[in-house]
Amino acid sequence: MFTRNPASIAAPSPLTARNLRQKGLAFAAPLRRAGRTILRFATDAPQPHPPWYWPDYLRALAIPTVTTAIAFPLSPYFGLVNIVMLYILGTTVGALRLGRGPSVLIAIANMLAFDFFFVPPVFSFDVEDTHYLFTLGVMLIVALVIANLMVSIRRHREIADAREQRTAVLYAMTRELAVATDAQAMTAAAVRHISAVFHSTAVVLIADARGCLSPMSPDESVGKEAQRPLPAFDLEFAQEVVTGGERCIKDAIYLPLLGSRRVRGVIVVCPQPPARALPAEQLNLLDAFAAQLALSLQRARLAEAAEAARISAERALLRNTLLASISHDLRTPLSAIAGAGSLIAQPEYALNADRRTTLGNLIERKARDMSHLLTNVLELMQMEFGSATLRTDWHAIDDLVALALRTNEARLAGWRTVVNLPTDLPLIMVEATLIVQILSNLLENAAKYTPPGTTITLSAAVEEKSFSLVVADDGPGLPPGDPERLFEKFQRGRSESNIVGVGLGLAICRAAARLHGGDIRAMNNAGGGARFEIMLPVETQADAASEDEDRDTRR
Amino acid sequence: MTEAMHLILIFEDDQAIQNVLRVLFEANGFRVVIAETAARGENDARLHRPDIVVVDLGLPDRDGLNVITAIRAWSPVPIIVLTARTAEAQRLAAFENGADDYVTKPFSAPELLARVRAIVRRHVRGELPMGMLELGDVSIDLGRRVARRRDGRDVRLTPLEHRILETLARHGDRIVTHAALIKEVWGPHRNDSRALRVYIGSLRRKLEIDPARPKHILTELGVGYRLVIDAGVEPGG
Repeated sequence: MFTRNPASIAAPSPLTARNLRQKGLAFAAPLRRAGRTILRFATDAPQPHPPWYWPDYLRALAIPTVTTAIAFPLSPYFGLVNIVMLYILGTTVGALRLGRGPSVLIAIANMLAFDFFFVPPVFSFDVEDTHYLFTLGVMLIVALVIANLMVSIRRHREIADAREQRTAVLYAMTRELAVATDAQAMTAAAVRHISAVFHSTAVVLIADARGCLSPMSPDESVGKEAQRPLPAFDLEFAQEVVTGGERCIKDAIYLPLLGSRRVRGVIVVCPQPPARALPAEQLNLLDAFAAQLALSLQRARLAEAAEAARISAERALLRNTLLASISHDLRTPLSAIAGAGSLIAQPEYALNADRRTTLGNLIERKARDMSHLLTNVLELMQMEFGSATLRTDWHAIDDLVALALRTNEARLAGWRTVVNLPTDLPLIMVEATLIVQILSNLLENAAKYTPPGTTITLSAAVEEKSFSLVVADDGPGLPPGDPERLFEKFQRGRSESNIVGVGLGLAICRAAARLHGGDIRAMNNAGGGARFEIMLPVETQADAASEDEDRDTRR
Repeated sequence: MTEAMHLILIFEDDQAIQNVLRVLFEANGFRVVIAETAARGENDARLHRPDIVVVDLGLPDRDGLNVITAIRAWSPVPIIVLTARTAEAQRLAAFENGADDYVTKPFSAPELLARVRAIVRRHVRGELPMGMLELGDVSIDLGRRVARRRDGRDVRLTPLEHRILETLARHGDRIVTHAALIKEVWGPHRNDSRALRVYIGSLRRKLEIDPARPKHILTELGVGYRLVIDAGVEPGG
């Protein structure tokens, strides 16, 4: 746990200092195996050595011993000045690696050893020449100053390292939080990081609008490997933390997640073993984690709010346009019907049979237009606002095409229709009414925007995983501009035409295709004319029919 | 065939539609009885013994579906549903309760009249005898299970195809629901419409002049199939 052995700092093993720092910044999943070690190092480093850690003192005594062992054989050749230098060098080396106390011990022991072994008379603490007293005194002072300097330099480096490691750890979590898009993924990431860094279990409690806390449900997507036991926590106490808005420590550490206006939740962290109290440095780091998570949660909330605002604005726009268009498109035929009706009803006009027939036809046609419009509006609303569950079943494509043609038989009387379907088309899993509706709308569209006599071709093709239905004509083609525009609500092919309908037909086609997980697009044929392609995903079907076929033909 | 004495009983609570229907049917030689509530109508049905019944599903006192069931309990009189309800499930429920046809509001008067006439004609003619069936240029001997084109070529139908055709023919040109068809052809333990759809497709390719635009084996979306036997061709046999 504790970096008692100074060598682990000064002489890096593969998992320390610089290379660790680099890894900490570089790896994507920083908290597995190697990461644990880094983080442990990072959080533990700032702690000071205990003042009376005796093995260090033993190591300290080795220095004067070794220095003396080297210096003694050299004494006949070296002057005493150089021997002093050797001792000061020893003190420096010792101070580089050991704490303050051992360093002082080295300084004193070195002075005594020099006095004993080298100052005449040798092998005695007596000093023959009083000049040497001055030498010994200066030697001790220099050694003490050096020891002190060395120790504080090392201390500073340790603090800098620790700070850097803390930044790396926070950065690793921040990066994961930044990628997460929802609150659930964010809390999961935070819990994972906190648990790893602080060797603890952790849980995030999210406060609702009234400030009531409830645990964030575990994220299903992370799998079993990441599932952690929940710490025991005191919900009432956590509730008080929400009110107070400050970090509290009981059996566990309760950290509030401060939002801009209110407390968004509480992280409960239980260090293992529970009794272990975290030092102030680690508590500060924990605060930083909590602040980071709170910020991210805030961001997620803002994003959600923005999305909700966008949707509601879009709906409001749709509603307004819908109302405007409907009121126009309903009022016009209504006034025609009311007018025609009153003409027929008034005896004083004495209409002849021909006129009556004309007015009667007009009433019927206008009423039919209205009904058609109403159906479209209702259908689109159902698809856009309603529960978008499909009532799908297996259907034969040729069957649906035939139905669409039959529905539009009268409308298409003046047009030539060609059906061009391969015989081996698979059954498709769709809601039949919607597909018939798409085809119907496309046929109706073709009849509206091409002159009579135009050929309308219906064809289909199966690709790898999708299926496409094509309604094409050899008419005048799409209006200029982006074809995608046609699928917007209330768009008409020609903006100032008197063609009936609010331009919902293609919007319905798109909504219906998308409900099926497909889409529709419009383009011009290479040889002229418009072409609409409906793409639908194909579901693989067990070959129930062919089984039967075998049995059926063998008989 | 004349409908001079045919009596039509209409369950409809809307005054305007009552008027339209009365004018339409009286102008075409029907006697018309209109009931505004389910209770009145059921009474009228027993009293007048109508030749055909038109039911609006949205009646003030009871759901029209109940009316269908109640009448079916004692009478085979043809019933046409006339309603603003367009959902597939509603159509299916009406047919399963015993309705013969389904017309949605707003309806076209000529179309409604045509459907009523077709059903009355069929009902008067009675169930088709199992015998020869003429579909376009193919004649099928259901008893001997042989089908032949007008030009003398044989049309080979598989046993299952035969059974489907036979079942559809037995119901005249009334709709047969998917469930009923599957039950009659495959038995009660089958619950998969896929094979049925495949077989209908192959039947069409063999029997229809233009399989892409079938004229005889028609799909009723979400409900089932209906066999339309050529008008004017009386089944021999």
